[in-house]
Amino acid sequence: MEHRKMNGGKVFISVLCVAAVCSAVPVSDLLDRASQRSDTLHALSTLLTHELDSHFPPLGRVIMPRPSMCHTSSLQTPNDKEQALQVSESDLLSLARSLLQAWIDPLTVLSNSANNLPHPAQNSISNKIQELQEHSKSLGDGLDILSGKMGAAAQGISFLPYRGGNDIGHDKISKLTNFHFLLSCFRRDSHKIDSFLKVLRCRAAKMC
Amino acid sequence: MSLCGAMMKSSVEVNLLLLLVFTLCVKAMRYSPPEKPVLTRCRSPEKETFTCWWEPGSDGGLPTTYALFYRKENSETVYECPDYHTAGENSCFFNKNDTSIWVNYNITVVATNALGSTFSDPVDIDVVYIVKPNHPEKVTVTVMEDKGWPFLRVSWEPPHQADTRSGWITLIYELRVKLEGENEWEMHLAGQQKMFNIFSLRSGGTYLVQVRCKPDHGFWSEWSTTSYIKVPDYFHREKPMWVLITCFCAFIFLILTWLLHMNSQSLKHCILPPVPGPKIKGFDKQLLKNGKCDEIFSALVVPSFPPTAPPNCEDLLVEYLEVYVPEEQELIMEESKDLNDLCLKSGGCTSDNDSGRGSCDSHTLLMDKFREAKEKRKPREQGSGQAGTESQGNQRDWEEEGSSCAHEDMVSPSISSGRVKTWPCVFSPLPQYSSGRLEHKGSLERAKQHCHSDTLFPLGSTSSSLDQQGQHTKETLRPSNWEFGLSNKQPHLLHPHTRPQRQLQAHSDVNISSIGHKRELRGLHSPAPESTEYVEVQRVNEENMVLLQPVDSERGHMEDCSQVPLGEDYSRVNGVDRDNRLLLQREVTQGDRCFCGDRDMNGERTENCYSLSTATMTQKPRVCIHTAMPVQDNMVLGVTGYVDTSTASTLPSY
Repeated sequence: MEHRKMNGGKVFISVLCVAAVCSAVPVSDLLDRASQRSDTLHALSTLLTHELDSHFPPLGRVIMPRPSMCHTSSLQTPNDKEQALQVSESDLLSLARSLLQAWIDPLTVLSNSANNLPHPAQNSISNKIQELQEHSKSLGDGLDILSGKMGAAAQGISFLPYRGGNDIGHDKISKLTNFHFLLSCFRRDSHKIDSFLKVLRCRAAKMC
Repeated sequence: MSLCGAMMKSSVEVNLLLLLVFTLCVKAMRYSPPEKPVLTRCRSPEKETFTCWWEPGSDGGLPTTYALFYRKENSETVYECPDYHTAGENSCFFNKNDTSIWVNYNITVVATNALGSTFSDPVDIDVVYIVKPNHPEKVTVTVMEDKGWPFLRVSWEPPHQADTRSGWITLIYELRVKLEGENEWEMHLAGQQKMFNIFSLRSGGTYLVQVRCKPDHGFWSEWSTTSYIKVPDYFHREKPMWVLITCFCAFIFLILTWLLHMNSQSLKHCILPPVPGPKIKGFDKQLLKNGKCDEIFSALVVPSFPPTAPPNCEDLLVEYLEVYVPEEQELIMEESKDLNDLCLKSGGCTSDNDSGRGSCDSHTLLMDKFREAKEKRKPREQGSGQAGTESQGNQRDWEEEGSSCAHEDMVSPSISSGRVKTWPCVFSPLPQYSSGRLEHKGSLERAKQHCHSDTLFPLGSTSSSLDQQGQHTKETLRPSNWEFGLSNKQPHLLHPHTRPQRQLQAHSDVNISSIGHKRELRGLHSPAPESTEYVEVQRVNEENMVLLQPVDSERGHMEDCSQVPLGEDYSRVNGVDRDNRLLLQREVTQGDRCFCGDRDMNGERTENCYSLSTATMTQKPRVCIHTAMPVQDNMVLGVTGYVDTSTASTLPSY
């Protein structure tokens, strides 16, 4: 299944490349495809979160670190609709790309941790993590192409390093807790990306 | 001072006592602090505001107040719910100003009464995850037509709070339809479009339509209010089609019925083959049903067969004359080739030697007799050769006289149409048997045809008409005569060089034996007397062979009668003397011949004609018939002077 996703991602990228080269595909279509990809990404992360919570011991929730401790929290993003609608397209795209870029490493950490995760649904979680990686990669490539079409302002990316290290914990509870925390951060960020792209899509199509 | 101290101590004790009493009283009335309330749900309809509801617990008997406090994730500031009333009771409404997205809210509800407060469990929510829009609005259903077929068009509007135009919220829709009275809904996912068509409607039915929506990552909304729509009756448009189909089927059905009726017989034969009935000649089913055996069997009796009359010796004799024709004297006429072919081909004719039918089957009979003749006459070849030569010479002379065309006709019956009357034609089996053979083109057939025309007996009537014994006698003789004649003829036919004279001889032979019969038979039947064969005995050679000449001069007054020059060409046998000589008569007239058959044949001597000694007959040699029939004493001449072979019991038989 991962191969299919990878192939799909490759196809998407290739199409985007061709479109970028040929300049035949309009930006609205590119945005439409990108928003579809981001939608899938967020849906996957939501599924993963639910799967993890189904067997998560309730005890661990108490010691859950705060979401403000996500490594991407430093990025200023709009907090409500008025703010979001006031952001320019290039800024929105830049934000999306920055967020996506920030999660390349943590997803790798998550993928590595999922192999040893002390969880009954570890196998499914591991597969989904891999899918997340593929989709994230393809979306990032597509957004890079989009940014090239949308002007120089869209090229800027905020660097959001992940400083959590490769280890998410030693004991079972800390592992699960950190895994859950990272996943929640990714879920939010994927939603942000999806929202931004959909706003961009409607703006580009002018008829949402 | 001690008094004041004592009083203070007593007041404190009294207060404590009162408090104790009060507490006891309170406890006796079961008042308690409120139970812990529970936050049931929080929802945001458009990702801009949200509302939380809680479920209060037991109030503990005392008035309880609820307060909702929340804290955002980045600060420690606790805020209280800004609006408790907009969303109803036990709810807290967060307006746009208070709502932040992508921010975790930590919400707690506190229930407070006189006895205390109780905090609920905190709940962390993110507004973007709790989006549940309102149901779609302005749902309209209309009936539209597509080429005469109606369909429903459902259109709606997104909930007014949801901002789908800017892309802030993306909604996908779903509608469901069902007929009034049914239980199952038909679901249709409409995606992001705001219009949907429903086809395949039931004519005259009332449909219920509902629509709902869902954000891309949220919860489904409630179903919209039901829209009722009645589909008009359009079955009348389908009727003509059904009428056409019905007419077409009826038409096909009628055609099949007609075909079946036309072929009913063949189908009946195919499915129910008829039981073959008995094909016994003379078998009458009605008689069988009547159950009278005597009648049945009497009906089966054919006059000709089986022979019920006491057999005569002569009857049993197969009387025919073997005519041996030497090969060098044989000539074949071209016209007789047909006859040859016919005879040769007729090997398949089925006839047994015992049946009278075989006699009429001249083809096979000729074949068979020819073979026998060949076999038996070989030794006599030499002897008869002389006779044949003599007859040959006689014939030549006769031909030189330029006598009758009939002669020629006799020679080649196939040539002339009317000359073949000299063929013996009075055999009853002949018509029956040869009627089927009239189709053949052979000269033999033609001969038969002519014979039939000349015979006294109409076709097919002989057997039925001849019931008497006397006739039966004659009939039995006929085959023999016929055989006689035909057997004589056969050698001619098969030999390519059979001369016509041979045929004449054959005819004359036949006439000798059969003329008498014919005369009698003629009297029995009304049809116009046809001419019969006449032979003129030429002479009798040393070997007791009668050399006869056919007489055909009498045909003049018959329709078929050939134009035979009258004359003295033919003679009749008047009698046979002791010396085994035939006494012949010379014929004078022609016309009388045809009508000469009114007298009994047996034993009567004819009154007419001439008598010639055999010796005098040499002047007109005609066809020599090499017969095996010795001239016997007891040969009886017929009416016209022909030998009555029926009474000649000494006739040789094969």
